[in-house]
Amino acid sequence: MTQLFTGVCLLLAAGGGTPVPHGIFPYHYQKHTLPNGLRTIVIPMEGSGLVAYYSIVRTGSRDEVEPGKSGFAHFFEHMMFRGTRKYPQDVYNRIVTSIGAQANAYTTDDYTAYHLCFAKDDLEKVVEIESDRFQNLQYGQQAFQTEAGAVYGEYRKTVTQPFALLEEKLHDAAYDLHTYKHTTMGFERDIKAMPEAYQYSLDFFKRYYRPENVVLVIVGDVVPQSVFDLLAKYYGPWQSGYVAPQIPVEPPQTAERAVEVSYPGKTLPILDIAYKGDAFEVSDRDYLAAILLGELAFGPTSDIYRKLVIQQQRVQFIGAHAPLNRDPPLMEITSMVNRSNDIAAVRDEIYETLDEFQKQPVDETRLANLKRRNKYVFVMQLDAPDKVAAALARFVALTGGIEVVDQLYHEFDAIGPQDIMQAAGKYFVPARRTVAVLKGTTP
Amino acid sequence: MRIAMAAIPCFLGLFGLAGSATAEEIPDQQIVRLPVNNDPTISLRVWFKVGSQDDPPGKPGLAALTAAMLTEASTRQNSYEQILQKLFPLAATYSASTSVEMTVIFGRVHKDNLAAYYPLLRDALLAPAFKQEDLDRLKKETLNYLQNILRYASDEELGKAVLLNEIFAGTPYGHLTSGTIESVQAITLDDLQQFYREHYTRENLVIGIAGGYDDSLLRRLRSDLAGLPAGKPATGSRGSEGDSPRPTFGRCPAATTPVVVTGSMAPRKSGPSPGLKVTIVEKEASATAISVGFPIDVLRGANDWYPLAVANSWFGQHRNSSSHLYQVIREQRGLNYGDYSYIEHFPHAGMALVPPTNEGRRRQIFEIWIRPVPNEARHFALRAALRELHHLVDQGMTDAQCMLTRDFLSKFVLHYAPTTMMRLGYALDDRFYDIPGSHLEIFRNRMHTVTREEINAAVKKHLQYENMHIVLVTKDAESLKRALVEDLPSPITYPTPKPEAVLEKDQQISRFPLKIKVEDVKIISVTELFVK
Repeated sequence: MTQLFTGVCLLLAAGGGTPVPHGIFPYHYQKHTLPNGLRTIVIPMEGSGLVAYYSIVRTGSRDEVEPGKSGFAHFFEHMMFRGTRKYPQDVYNRIVTSIGAQANAYTTDDYTAYHLCFAKDDLEKVVEIESDRFQNLQYGQQAFQTEAGAVYGEYRKTVTQPFALLEEKLHDAAYDLHTYKHTTMGFERDIKAMPEAYQYSLDFFKRYYRPENVVLVIVGDVVPQSVFDLLAKYYGPWQSGYVAPQIPVEPPQTAERAVEVSYPGKTLPILDIAYKGDAFEVSDRDYLAAILLGELAFGPTSDIYRKLVIQQQRVQFIGAHAPLNRDPPLMEITSMVNRSNDIAAVRDEIYETLDEFQKQPVDETRLANLKRRNKYVFVMQLDAPDKVAAALARFVALTGGIEVVDQLYHEFDAIGPQDIMQAAGKYFVPARRTVAVLKGTTP
Repeated sequence: MRIAMAAIPCFLGLFGLAGSATAEEIPDQQIVRLPVNNDPTISLRVWFKVGSQDDPPGKPGLAALTAAMLTEASTRQNSYEQILQKLFPLAATYSASTSVEMTVIFGRVHKDNLAAYYPLLRDALLAPAFKQEDLDRLKKETLNYLQNILRYASDEELGKAVLLNEIFAGTPYGHLTSGTIESVQAITLDDLQQFYREHYTRENLVIGIAGGYDDSLLRRLRSDLAGLPAGKPATGSRGSEGDSPRPTFGRCPAATTPVVVTGSMAPRKSGPSPGLKVTIVEKEASATAISVGFPIDVLRGANDWYPLAVANSWFGQHRNSSSHLYQVIREQRGLNYGDYSYIEHFPHAGMALVPPTNEGRRRQIFEIWIRPVPNEARHFALRAALRELHHLVDQGMTDAQCMLTRDFLSKFVLHYAPTTMMRLGYALDDRFYDIPGSHLEIFRNRMHTVTREEINAAVKKHLQYENMHIVLVTKDAESLKRALVEDLPSPITYPTPKPEAVLEKDQQISRFPLKIKVEDVKIISVTELFVK
């Protein structure tokens, strides 16, 4: 592994001088924290001429604790483009346009990311306008209400996808108290009611858009110290005052749950078997083993994939995903089944596969191959500033930094077949399970 | 014989071919190189000059299915299961992209894994097994896409697919790359093998190679791919010799508008009567997706393309809030999630922020994409978009708009190809469009000099609003048809207050005449689409 990415390092090692990475992450980087708590990670990548500038707010749909406010973190992300007194919306847009920036944002369950990619000469202008909107956002009620229409439009274009509907119903069924009960998009009834929440949106900004709750990740053709100087100048006055929400703790699930979902259209049936996982903790060997288990048991080299997808062709696909989250997420095994009357049989095949993993240690070579693959997959995606920042965003949201990347792959290296067996027995049990089946209503 | 030889591993150093290349190899003019020193990865794109335009009569989908049988199926050396097993630890794959005129087999691999990866890729290109079980599986995937996913999962993608079919009906572009339900069901192994023999020939390919490759790899690739059969380039593909037959576009229904003739692709002047041709796809939709478009005859590389790109960017830059349409429909009125326009076909636009590569085509379209609006606002939203198009065509852009958009594009183009793989895609596209040098460089450079006069002249020359296709995916199609052909007012009400200036303009929009004739509106049920 030490020589795997020499080329990347040769190509991209640059300025700075502090910590030399020892693990999988191939770039040098520097960190800095302002007195108000704003953390910044600068990763120089010489030669591209571009800079990726990610403002990661560690607030997502997980933080939507008040009843009727599902989807609000995402809605608020839209409002962040509505301007300030100094740079009203049209002026902000004109600046972003004039510098040819690629600018956008997205919201997830655990965080919200605002990202711009631009030519390196425009760095100070970007620091200025971004620091301004994070400190001085200002919009009127009409603009707020009009934006609610655009968000409803986003819901409309998404809800026709069967997987979007399935996720909404699955999470609703699997959780009782925790805010993962709703998707990031939110329930339709709450989206409809968004225009009434103007005052709430102002509070939302005051509570969550604070320097202690934001991490900047700046990657590309930059000199770290110059960046830090700019940040001190423009973000220095930002007042701290983050108020952490009280996220309801989900009580342990004690029995299997099931939900049937009717999709208003035509689709092959989708089977989604979800198990409650654990909050991300890099030293949590059990959960890391469960992540690997999902790929070994249901990935393209698994026995069940060979049987159901390639040989018998009973399903369009099968796969598993164990996400990294701040609170216990759902690990999902998903398959689109070719015939409705085969759903139960496919479900049983999945259960048998999991049983097998509880009883038999996985082949060591397969496990080694998976670990090897995962490292290459991770590093090969880091080939442009924007892609580096995007790949790091969730780790930043989870931990506030990126040291965890090296730690994570180090921990993965230590996972053995016995760990996989233990994870199978711990997580993939009926008491943690919610089974969702989606069927189309159009014949 | 060459394949059998090639299957014997003989890696010395990386590839062990330090000596001279074999006498028979793909010639230099069929190679596109993009070396990147110290890049630990290698990007490959092998372009075959064949696409869905070459699907034989009655066999739509054959080109795409053939390509999939190379990259998602068995080879003579390995079953598909074995291929998946071998690729897995390499963290590398190879895939196929088929568009109307191009089929590209592409993959990226770390140098460490090249020795194990290369034979798999080579066998996929040279020795596909064409097994019935693989065909059955891939057919099921394609049919699921045509019967279910495309019809139901995304109304905006559905609308765009119907728009393309309508614009190019009766031409080699006039069917989906995926084919139709009946044609896919009927495709046989013999069809695939014959198509492969005819089109996957050594004269019909271009090798694109980029990143940290060394000469031995390229020599090996040139030598191995020379093992493909000899053969003339496929029907009419661009980038091939000029004596090949070309598809005919004379029947493009909206091609009766002023056009610039490029090369031999001049449309015929005859055609259906001009006007707005409306297709309403009827389904139980909770919102209405709208697509509008017509063919244009300007291609990247042509002088007019760059000023037209400025106008298009101002009017509807993809996924960008600076777009004028976006401002009018979404930002001021909150009617939907976004509104954009294009002068090049942009598939899978909902998933990407920058244009795709290797979608080259000799006939492009101007397209307006209005993301789903509430059903009660569908007529209004269509009017709003077309009214803005009228203004653009009739009045052109102001100096300030031109300058701002020029500045924007001169830098924004940097984002089009930030990675080596994407740059390689553009390099192949440059070859497709016969562009000497780099389209992206020309694009950036032209932004420093292009004038308002050039921009507005390009708009006048290539854009228009009288002859176009409109597709709406919606419910209650008959009531929409009546509203359209009677040009009924379409007043808009909002759930929340709007500024007076917006409401005043709404009055004009809601009465904006579209002049659609009853005979130019057709209603089609979603279940009838993509069948034949």
